[in-house]
Amino acid sequence: MTTKDLIDKVGLRPLSTFEHRDVNGVFVSDMLSDVMAGAKSGNLWLTVQTHKSIVPAANLVDVAAIVVTGGKDVPQETVDLASKYNIAILVSDLPTFELVGKLYALGSFAR
Amino acid sequence: MDNEVGHPDRPLARGEAGSKGAAVEIRRIKDALDAVIIEADDNLEGTVDHIYASDLMSDVLAFGKPNSILLTGLATRQAVISAHMAEFKGVVFIRGKTPKDGSDHFARDHHLVLLSTHLDMYDACLRIESVKRGETPAAQPAAVAGGEELLLSRELVINGNDFASAGMVSTEVKSVLKTIGLDPKLVRRVAISTYEGEMNVVMHAKRARVALSVTPHIIEVVIADEGKGIPDVNLAMQEGYTTATEEMRAMGFGSGMGLPNIKKNADELLINSEVGRGTTLVMRFKI
Repeated sequence: MTTKDLIDKVGLRPLSTFEHRDVNGVFVSDMLSDVMAGAKSGNLWLTVQTHKSIVPAANLVDVAAIVVTGGKDVPQETVDLASKYNIAILVSDLPTFELVGKLYALGSFAR
Repeated sequence: MDNEVGHPDRPLARGEAGSKGAAVEIRRIKDALDAVIIEADDNLEGTVDHIYASDLMSDVLAFGKPNSILLTGLATRQAVISAHMAEFKGVVFIRGKTPKDGSDHFARDHHLVLLSTHLDMYDACLRIESVKRGETPAAQPAAVAGGEELLLSRELVINGNDFASAGMVSTEVKSVLKTIGLDPKLVRRVAISTYEGEMNVVMHAKRARVALSVTPHIIEVVIADEGKGIPDVNLAMQEGYTTATEEMRAMGFGSGMGLPNIKKNADELLINSEVGRGTTLVMRFKI
């Protein structure tokens, strides 16, 4: 499953410029240290955080994409920084719980 | 523009370092002085024709030549503005001083380099003189013990309370390590540990110097902050223990996992903290 597949299948809106890559799992957290400790390289990171420091966090743990849930507005400076580091920021209008349900139902990320 | 009021406990230096000769790269001056970057953008690659050492800004304006770098103990915006007026390329603050009055913004807007060295004026002048004469400056003290060959060293600065730039220093550390072809998994562990250390500085300290050194066997990251210090390190090492504010926690910082995450990722973690002065973290990773 790639970021491109996910954009089409669960209706995510890309905001930054990035290259598509493989997604190997999903990690949900709004605490940055939690992401540092638990997210794996290549994971999709679901969060409601939108401030600029999500970009270095995503870059450092090497997630496949940041997904901002609940249709939140993402500040332009966050998007610009993400584009600079080739980090995908995708927005979903669904709340986190519902998006997780849809992602799980795809079957690729079940454990 | 005059700013000649001397500090009561020390006389004003009026020395002017020898300044004739060929152009010197600013980066070489930085390396020779073992200086940390306060503000540089990409102007570090430029050169200067002269060095001017003074604490008297009216002297700078009267005698400074364009395309110089200023060495001064006057850590204020006035020094930076004077350097700009005299068409200097940048300012080096001596004895570890750093201006805390928005000088860095002024410098950025006017493309000036700002550096800070722990050396005093005399030693700083000597070191630059040896660079100008084409000599190799005295070996820099490697943070890594054991006197191993230093493959790479880098100094960076983290500013406390700068949430907008939080994570940028660790991002730089990651990029630097990636370029020398280290195992990505190892680089990731270093990056995550540095990030946690950086977040602690952003949340709790005034500022910190970060020293990254790489030898054939060890990567070492030292984060030395000026801050309030940790009263009880054992307590701080406990998962979930936090002194972050609600506001920080709302941004996703301060879940009390920082130091435990570092301990998990680093092969060795040393913490030296003094309440009211600051905390130094030494993180080591085996290659």
